[in-house]
Amino acid sequence: MTGLLEIHHLCKSFDTVKVIDDFSLEVVEGTLCCLVGPNGAGKTTTMDLITGRIKPTSGKIVFASDDITGQSEHEIARAGIGRKFQVPAVLRDLTVRQNLAVAYSRQTNPFWNLLRFRVPGLAQKLDEIATLAGLTHRLNERAGILSHGETQWLEIGMVLMQEPRLMLMDEPIAGMTESEIEKTARIFKELRKSTTLIVVEHDMGFVREIADVVTVMHMGSLLAQGTIREIEADPRVRAVYLGEQEAA
Amino acid sequence: MGNLYYNKTAQWIAYAAFFAALAIVPMAIDDDFLLNQLATYGVYGMLALSISLCWGFGGILNLGQGIAFGLGAYGMAMTMQMQTQTESNPIPPIMLNNGLDYLPFLWWPFQNTAVGLIFAVAVPTLFCAVFGGIMFRARVSGPFFAIMTLAMLSAFYTIILDQQAYTGGVNGITPPAPFQFAGIEIEPYSPLAYWTVFFALLTATVIAKLITQSSFGLVTQAIRDDAERVRFLGYGVAGYETMIYTISGLIAAVAGCLWVMLVQYVSPAQLDVGFSISMVIWAAIGGRMSLIGSIIGAFVIQGAQSYLGDAFLSTWLLILGGFFIIIVRFLPNGLASLLEAALGLLATKKKTTTKTPRESNCAEPVPAE
Amino acid sequence: MEFGSVLNALILGVSIASIWLIAALGLTIIYGAAGVINMAHGELIMLGAYSSYMLQHHFGVPYLLCIPASFVIVGLVGLILERGLIQYLYNRPLDTLLATYGVSLVLMQGVRLIFGSDPKYLAVPEVFSTNISLGFASISTFRVIVFAVTALLVLAIWVLFYKTRFGVQVRAVMQNKEMASSFGINANRVYMLTFALGAGLAGVAGSLFGVLNIVLPTMGSSYVVQAFLMVVVGGGSLAGSVVASGVTGELQSVFAFFTNDTFARFLIFVLIVVFLRFRPQGLFAKAGARR
Repeated sequence: MTGLLEIHHLCKSFDTVKVIDDFSLEVVEGTLCCLVGPNGAGKTTTMDLITGRIKPTSGKIVFASDDITGQSEHEIARAGIGRKFQVPAVLRDLTVRQNLAVAYSRQTNPFWNLLRFRVPGLAQKLDEIATLAGLTHRLNERAGILSHGETQWLEIGMVLMQEPRLMLMDEPIAGMTESEIEKTARIFKELRKSTTLIVVEHDMGFVREIADVVTVMHMGSLLAQGTIREIEADPRVRAVYLGEQEAA
Repeated sequence: MGNLYYNKTAQWIAYAAFFAALAIVPMAIDDDFLLNQLATYGVYGMLALSISLCWGFGGILNLGQGIAFGLGAYGMAMTMQMQTQTESNPIPPIMLNNGLDYLPFLWWPFQNTAVGLIFAVAVPTLFCAVFGGIMFRARVSGPFFAIMTLAMLSAFYTIILDQQAYTGGVNGITPPAPFQFAGIEIEPYSPLAYWTVFFALLTATVIAKLITQSSFGLVTQAIRDDAERVRFLGYGVAGYETMIYTISGLIAAVAGCLWVMLVQYVSPAQLDVGFSISMVIWAAIGGRMSLIGSIIGAFVIQGAQSYLGDAFLSTWLLILGGFFIIIVRFLPNGLASLLEAALGLLATKKKTTTKTPRESNCAEPVPAE
Repeated sequence: MEFGSVLNALILGVSIASIWLIAALGLTIIYGAAGVINMAHGELIMLGAYSSYMLQHHFGVPYLLCIPASFVIVGLVGLILERGLIQYLYNRPLDTLLATYGVSLVLMQGVRLIFGSDPKYLAVPEVFSTNISLGFASISTFRVIVFAVTALLVLAIWVLFYKTRFGVQVRAVMQNKEMASSFGINANRVYMLTFALGAGLAGVAGSLFGVLNIVLPTMGSSYVVQAFLMVVVGGGSLAGSVVASGVTGELQSVFAFFTNDTFARFLIFVLIVVFLRFRPQGLFAKAGARR
């Protein structure tokens, strides 16, 4: 394997329940990989394992040739992995501007940050991302009062501010309007030039629009992988997933 | 023009005005006894400031600030005590009265004033760094951490009380002479003592305010909001939490030193649980999110308490307790939040009267979910 | 080292353990069920002592009846507290801690204003003041009574929580409040009753402690931190509190035997902090989601 992210034989059990069962995956740099599967397949758990929120029972995760298995969340984030959560997690009491500013985590050392009052490059990047996310008029509002869609966009904006090499997006379009979904698809496809993305989604239309590679998970392991066409034609996938899928 | 409360320039002006008022006091008051009392309020103000920084700003409730305060106070008392010991009288009475005819190892650094002062401040600060580091690395936070600080406070109280020969036990240490610094005697009942406390409070406040406005301050606020999210942005949360807890402890340790300078005495009562929690009460009532609000809270409450005297102490404490309950239940950000709300009302009134057209490319404000 | 004095220390340890356990029982229930850190717990204990004093001195109620009476009186106080204040603060654990501290101040000063600061004494039947001899060791009869009451209460609570319908409801609400509500369990009523129960247990502890120590307005404050530490070391479960109290009670007695009471306390505190650093969830953490 020579991908940006390599997962080798990952296993995770909670007490006696095996949630991730010998899962392996390779994500090539500059591609957009969509992770799909029925509820309970282990998609969010996989994200948790990659980002260090939970530790694997066994297996290895390699990012940019570094073994990141078992590292803590902030070390993995610093290594270049950014994450957008399933339930939008923004800093509710801080303003939109402050949210984006904190996400610009070039310098994370507390000692240095005690002495810093102006961050070089922040203002420009912040304007850029705020415009992209459509939040320029909301910059001084508390993040807690944003609508659901705006909160999604804020969190996407925060991940973009991080400038990670790998972005993990967990159901990014939940609650978005048609035009917003279109905009998200455009942005994701653009991002492929500078970042690698793994997107967990249920909306097959969206997946069809953006994915280079589709990975289907089932019961904690890999069921099938390939282009969207190959996946849709795969009889195993049909049986397990597409047959049970709710309307997109 | 948004809410004036959040305007940084307005804030600095308010702080400047406050300290200017404090500076005028010794020129207006002739009574040295009163000056000394006001100076002790300054010390309480520093304690409330330290709690506000750690809890209001950092989100870390510390019920054991008495550890830093008390250790700083004992360090200062030991330094001051050793200043009065001479060649012919080298051992403090505490040891002699408890059957020790040598100076314990614990007291050695305090034979030199400069070293003593450094130890008085450095030891509690180091404790905070180590204890905080251990706790925060283990992701102990919130109410659990608060209980841990109480446990540590109780532990320190117990050991200081117990080791009579080293600490004076329940009677504590009473240095017989005022503090001497670089040849100058700082008489507790003098404007000099007041000025010393004034400058310490001013410096601590300015440093604390600058911290809140720095990048570190932004990350700390974010951690208060959602520590986990901040982890995923790449920040080592434990480091930030330890740092703010330690800086808060440093301020409290300095306050402890100043307190002994003013009252020339220290005892285990400085590590009493009730006293540590009252620091939290001052900050809570004044407004824990506001540094200056907390300081004023300490002034007002301690001032009222001294004014009411011993006769009404029980009633006063009853009312204070009741008031504290009301604040926590209905006004969690303290009295300063009333000012915030008032200024907010003023700001919206101004907005509607000037009728500024809203920007055209934004959507209608969407109601919160 | 005399065998007799070692045995004495061990037996005393059991007694200390039972005292710490009974002080912690009410808190265990309240913290375990609702996650509430009740800083007024010590003052509820104090109220139990004063209730017994009042019943005895002003109404001539015999001591043994004072104990269950204190349970009822302080339980009622707890009920009022829960309905008047606590129920509004469930989603704010730090604020609950602080607000209950305010309550402790109010209770302590209130009692001081009503009863004065001078110590009061609880009269007990003659037989309780004697000592029981077991060979080389001896222990006061009253301490045996305390142990017996503690054991009885633990048993009663265990039956209540694991063998009754109410107990099932409490455990359901502990696991998942919303789910329990959707099954028709009145979560608010459960919280209210468990708080009252916890308070009542504090009252019982107070009526016993008033005999062991003198009755003062400040008698309760020393119990809060201690009781809390038992609860967190135990993990919030009944079994946890029992084991935690048992172990620390014995250790306190043994350490005190070799050094002195105060230093032993210090060692216990340090050990607890170290233990909690490595096992913050306590000995037997309750299964299920914490609210």
